[in-house]
Amino acid sequence: MLSVEADLPATVTLAAHPSQSVRAGRRLSRHVPGLLLRLVVALVYLFLLGPIVVIVATSFSPTHSMAFPPPGFSFRWYGAFLHSDSFTAAFQFSLELGLCASLIATLIGFLTAYAARRLMTRSGGVVQSLAMLPLLIPHLLISISILLALNFVPLPDFASLLAGHVLICTPFTVAGITASLDGVDAQLETAAMTLGASRLRAMLEVVVPLVAPGVLSAFLFAFVVSFGDVYIALFLAGPGTTTLPIEIFSYVQWQSSPVIAAITTVQIAMIVVLGLVIERLVGLRRIMRV
Amino acid sequence: MLLAFITPASVLYALFLIAPVTFFLAMGVMRYDAIQLYQPVPTLANFARIILDSYYRDVVVLTLKIAALTTVLTLLVGYPVAYLLARGRTAWRGILMFLVIAPLMTGEIVRTYGWIVVLGSEGLVNRCLLALGVIAHPLQLLNTQTAVVVALVHILLPFMIFPLISSLASQDPDLVRAADTLGAGRIRSFFEVTLPLSRTGMMMGSLLVFTLSAGAVVTPALLGGKDVTMLGQTIYDLVLHTLNWPLASACATILLALQLGFISLQLRANRRALRRG
Repeated sequence: MLSVEADLPATVTLAAHPSQSVRAGRRLSRHVPGLLLRLVVALVYLFLLGPIVVIVATSFSPTHSMAFPPPGFSFRWYGAFLHSDSFTAAFQFSLELGLCASLIATLIGFLTAYAARRLMTRSGGVVQSLAMLPLLIPHLLISISILLALNFVPLPDFASLLAGHVLICTPFTVAGITASLDGVDAQLETAAMTLGASRLRAMLEVVVPLVAPGVLSAFLFAFVVSFGDVYIALFLAGPGTTTLPIEIFSYVQWQSSPVIAAITTVQIAMIVVLGLVIERLVGLRRIMRV
Repeated sequence: MLLAFITPASVLYALFLIAPVTFFLAMGVMRYDAIQLYQPVPTLANFARIILDSYYRDVVVLTLKIAALTTVLTLLVGYPVAYLLARGRTAWRGILMFLVIAPLMTGEIVRTYGWIVVLGSEGLVNRCLLALGVIAHPLQLLNTQTAVVVALVHILLPFMIFPLISSLASQDPDLVRAADTLGAGRIRSFFEVTLPLSRTGMMMGSLLVFTLSAGAVVTPALLGGKDVTMLGQTIYDLVLHTLNWPLASACATILLALQLGFISLQLRANRRALRRG
């Protein structure tokens, strides 16, 4: 997995000459920390990716057994997923909710990030920090608080769930789009305005096309955040508005079957594809603000 | 015009975040009422109950223990990865970076489910141990505190790695070269230059991991069994089953207090370290 050989000294063989062997030993000991580091990192990656590989393998199990490695190969559990009304409905609902929530979060995120960039440095920074607020408050509390508020202001189930998801996606869209806006020369916009374009027109015709890849990545990332959320939906999902993670959570609490592995494999495949698209567009690192 | 741009976000945050969370937290100092959810009578009874009732006290202590353990372990496990990704001259860097971020995107439920499969009586770990002859019967790995901590470390590892990478990458590489020139070995220059300078990353990462693990519900519910009840699960039960909102609110305040306590502890340690050197 890691290119370990590249760092090995060329002459590790112990030579007959004592001074040479001492030198080789010293050279080897200088490389020991590096090799050790690579070994540890390889083990951490095994730990990080192992459970995901196991899920994918289990999803092709031909029997009810959750054993790893599975005793054979079949698409049986994918069939079971497609024939389960509750799971397909939840999957479809999560897709719809994720699309709506990430679309709104991207729009709000763009407006906020744009204003934060163009406001004076200090107040812009404040706006940006405030936008991160939903990340610092446990999502559990956000969800319960919205549920409580529904006692006083009745909203349809879908609306409250949507609001909660937009709320937890917005910090990511603001951060991602801000990073993209940083790469745009502010003078381009000034030039457009000098040439007679209104601020709105300069924004739509100069800035937006330049940050389009960043905006699209932010949208996809927000979708992934919404699709994977458990905490907001834990309190706000109701009959007819059950998201996929909630459906899985309530199923797994009482029983276990490889059908869950099949569903999560579909989800993992979808996320890997979206991740690769973001990586091609702007690089996942930019979204994570590394 | 620019102020109009922040209006949607402001309205969203005010209506669905600030107002509801403030109201929910305020309930913690009100009296419980079985019919109306709460009575607007100020009381400290909810907090007294959490501190005096050994059930709730144990929950708080266990939450603190699991969150602290998870934070320390993620730091130990995440540091080498962040170091290699920030400093190493490996050609695999892009792929390795992707492989850290991609699991993060699958969400808590998928990864908790992965651990159910891995740790089950017929799972990977038990099968390997049986095949190696280390054990004669499958071990009970699910429904233990260990399972919860292992899964939380796995789930939260990326949150530790990113801040570490950014603080390691922003260090001036010449500092290590200078230490090297002055005769410090690789190991000594790591412990005396690199490690202290990555303090900001360690603080950010620990804060995220501590917050997220202290508030976990799904992972302890699925992997902890009867052995593990954390603060998040207690709040969940109080809201959905017992319907004691004021007590749930007091628990939530304690959860936030743990988080703030952790921040102030870190800030103090940071200030002391800065003064020292």
